[in-house]
Amino acid sequence: MNAKDRLNAVIDNIEKVIIGKRHIAELSIVAMLSQGHVLLEDVPGVGKTMLVRALAKSIGADFKRIQFTPDLLPSDVIGVSIYNPKDMEFHFRPGPIMGNIVLADEINRTSPKTQSSLLEAMEEASVTIDGVTQHIPKPFFVMATQNPIEYEGTYPLPEAQLDRFLLKIKIGYPSSREEMEVLNRSQVSAPIDELQPVMTLEELLKLQEEVKRINVDETIRSYIVDLARQTRIDPYVYLGVSPRGSIALMKASQAYAMLKGRDFVTPDDVQHLAKFVFGHRIMLRSEARYDGVTAEEITDRILAKTRVPVQRLVGQ
Amino acid sequence: MTSIRKNSWFMAGLYILVFLLLAEWLTPVMTLTATAYKPLFLIFIAMALGMSLLRVSWWISGPLKLLYVLWFIVYVYTGEVFFTGEAIAFVWQDLKINLAALFSQNWANTTDVFRTLLFFTLLWMAVYLIHYWVSFRLSIFLFYLLTVVFIAVLDTFSPYTGNTAIIRIMVIGLLLAGLLHLARWTERHRIELSSEKIAAAIIPLFIMIAGSTAVALYLPKSGPVWPDPVPYITSFSSGAGSGPGGTVGRIGYGVNDSQLGGSFIGDSSPVFKAEVASGQYWKVESKDIYTTKGWELTENIGDSFLYENGDFIATDFTPGDPEMQETALLSMDQDFPFVLYPYGTESVVMDENLDYEYNTADQRIETYQQGDVFEPEVYEITFSEPTFSLTALRETSAEDLAELPAEFDRYRQLPAELPQRVRDLAEEITASSTTIYDKARDIERYFSNAGFEYSQQDIPVPAEDQDYVDQFLFDTKKGYCDNFSTSMVVLLRSLDIPARWVKGFNEGEIVETKDDTDIYQITNNNAHSWVEAYMPGVGWMLFEPTIGFTGSSAVEFDVEVDAAEEDEAAMPDRPEPPLPEELEDEAAADQNAGPSIWSRFQSFLDENSSKIGWGAIALGVLAAIFYKFRHKWLPRVLIPYYRLRSGDTATFEKAYLRLLKQLELYGIKRSEGQTLRAYASYIDTFFGTKDMTRLTNAYEQSIYGGRKDSIEWRELQESWENLIKQTTG
Repeated sequence: MNAKDRLNAVIDNIEKVIIGKRHIAELSIVAMLSQGHVLLEDVPGVGKTMLVRALAKSIGADFKRIQFTPDLLPSDVIGVSIYNPKDMEFHFRPGPIMGNIVLADEINRTSPKTQSSLLEAMEEASVTIDGVTQHIPKPFFVMATQNPIEYEGTYPLPEAQLDRFLLKIKIGYPSSREEMEVLNRSQVSAPIDELQPVMTLEELLKLQEEVKRINVDETIRSYIVDLARQTRIDPYVYLGVSPRGSIALMKASQAYAMLKGRDFVTPDDVQHLAKFVFGHRIMLRSEARYDGVTAEEITDRILAKTRVPVQRLVGQ
Repeated sequence: MTSIRKNSWFMAGLYILVFLLLAEWLTPVMTLTATAYKPLFLIFIAMALGMSLLRVSWWISGPLKLLYVLWFIVYVYTGEVFFTGEAIAFVWQDLKINLAALFSQNWANTTDVFRTLLFFTLLWMAVYLIHYWVSFRLSIFLFYLLTVVFIAVLDTFSPYTGNTAIIRIMVIGLLLAGLLHLARWTERHRIELSSEKIAAAIIPLFIMIAGSTAVALYLPKSGPVWPDPVPYITSFSSGAGSGPGGTVGRIGYGVNDSQLGGSFIGDSSPVFKAEVASGQYWKVESKDIYTTKGWELTENIGDSFLYENGDFIATDFTPGDPEMQETALLSMDQDFPFVLYPYGTESVVMDENLDYEYNTADQRIETYQQGDVFEPEVYEITFSEPTFSLTALRETSAEDLAELPAEFDRYRQLPAELPQRVRDLAEEITASSTTIYDKARDIERYFSNAGFEYSQQDIPVPAEDQDYVDQFLFDTKKGYCDNFSTSMVVLLRSLDIPARWVKGFNEGEIVETKDDTDIYQITNNNAHSWVEAYMPGVGWMLFEPTIGFTGSSAVEFDVEVDAAEEDEAAMPDRPEPPLPEELEDEAAADQNAGPSIWSRFQSFLDENSSKIGWGAIALGVLAAIFYKFRHKWLPRVLIPYYRLRSGDTATFEKAYLRLLKQLELYGIKRSEGQTLRAYASYIDTFFGTKDMTRLTNAYEQSIYGGRKDSIEWRELQESWENLIKQTTG
């Protein structure tokens, strides 16, 4: 079984639970393969939790969930050291972050202090409590959800922290036919309970290593750089995509290529992922909001006008 | 569905036309090779075509044809109508002889029978090929074209005359082409036509061809634009001459001048080389009788004088200053039985021991060796250019003319039919002058002042009741040396001034310079005619009325003006010599003596500037059209090109990029941000193929996948060719 088939098996598994959202499942796999994290921005009840749980179950991973509330403290996320009078030592009690797949629900409802504790853990894949560094077991994959920013009582994530998410995905409502199918499947029992793992954690770790070897040709690298540079000079954009964003796009493209059974990245991969990688990394000027232009639209526009490389670079 | 090929009437019609076309091939071959029994050959062709039409299988038709050929041999060569034992023995015997000749490679020993057999084989093959073209390809153009070329070539180069054949061939060919086009058209559009429908389609074709043929036959036809090329080719070996008055003649020296007129075309066949210090007019002879159409010579008149090598030959021109004596060395490329001599000739020398016969009738110096006509190769002429005293010339008067002896009468002859307006014109031109010399000069200058044009093209031949000079002076005002010189002679004569028409060659072109002598190449293009007029008390003088030719008169005036200057010192009341004119003439003479290639090129540019301009524009437009529609023809070049290329990845990448360009030309442009895959899927949807995706997958592997050597171009070639063919549509 090659990488493509195994990954598709996972996606098929997820599709049993989340109807008609195959591309969302694909994007989740892409993020997981490239060791990034996903920000889901959506209204409640469209299946965010179900998606993460199905993913966790399909790979036999440890699943944790943190419900962010305004009064949540960092220690509630990363864990706490407790003094044990019996052996007169501090014992580390791990928080919910110490899992393979973590669902950070409604991340923008908690205070910036707690948010940053989560994001630090995501970036470092480790937590430090009382000077002791605890490594988070691999694989480590966070799916954070946030309510649309306009909601009351939220703490919007700062730009620097948004950059740490590889992809920002919107699930969106299912179509009426899909929704009927959802109802149909949920009538007797929750489909999630019947899911069986189709991949082991070891296999996933191996694939994560393999993804890094997917060929990114110089033409593709230059294409990614061109796209990123275009976001920086767009008149509507206040802050464009950082080099970290370019890296993210490259890594995500590699994973997507693997998912499609190729060992090299094509411009199609880059184009497919650009919206999800750039969407939360482009900070718009207020004029854009007045004109009703979104970051996704700007990305589309840049994709349309940036020349796709179709020939070897000169001297290659 | 029944194809039009299945319609037996239609196909029979086609085959009958093919038969007629083949018969046109046969006719000239039989005429030229003096082969008889044409009907029997025609029967063979008809039989072969008929069996092809009826689709008789080869194992019946083959033996039948063979039998016919054998019968033909027996019948023609033995006279027997049936196969008798004797006849068979003859054929057998003949076969043995030919086989022996073949194996010993002794081709000359093959008999006529064998050649007949070969001819039949050729016919057989021709019939098969045409059958193939008509029945399978539904196309006859190539064969038709070959037929026309064949007949045209034979008509031009052989005694065969294809005047009516070419008309028949045009009609047959047009009919065939029209019918075959109909056949191809119905096949392409899968149209089923009943015999009536076919007839309805064919009748307009017949009417159109019949109508256009009738109109073409009825309409007057202009003469050929190009002269018959055969004389041109033979002129190199046998020398050219002005034609006897056809529509287009060939320039060069000729004997017959009784019918002047008509256009000329250039001929640069060399005539002779002259090694001489300055360019000369080389005289051959003069003629005295003007016939309203051309020139003839009075018969049995004048005296002949015989000279030998080095003897002083007394011509009508007294040699000039002995100190100015020059020599000219002539080496002939074309052979003439006479000497070409410059003005002021004293003597001729050549290696052979010859008799030179100078005839006062035409001033020709003929060469004889022991009584036989001799054509000299190389000879040396000693001469001194004649000089004329202006003083003497200014004293010539009309009264002197009356006292001239009777021997000058033949130089004053004019035909009775000469229109009065010619005589009136002569009076008019010369009204202001009193001396004979001035009158002659007036006439000489008249042509360049009165808007006459020098041209060798579109010069008519005078009609039955038309005078050659009258036509030129009043109607056409356009012509070449013959027109100008003849007209001047006639104008002079109508004033009673003795004048004659002289033929020869002008200076030619300097091809080499040796110390103080130049080598002139004289070609047929330099064949020329000019005027000699008699100045009472002075003698014969050369005049050059032809526009653009001034060389010879300049020679004379050069000396003459010197004389005038001397005279002027003594007689200050003399009128001013024509000094500015002299300078002009001298400049013109220089130019005439040897115009540089550059100046001739420039004058060519000037003369043809509009043609060149339009030609360039036409070429440019053509190139632009070619470029604009390159997607239509480029694939036809690209496909064979990429077939020849090696099968590596680099070739594939080039071919793929070429395809992208071609598709863009076709009108499906890939937008900047469109990926190859998206574009490929669009292309495939557009053309209903899967080829573009297939090619694109391979191309992506090569470009983005970094596998530079993994692509087998040959495997993808078919897809590529398929797509690139689509773009020509």
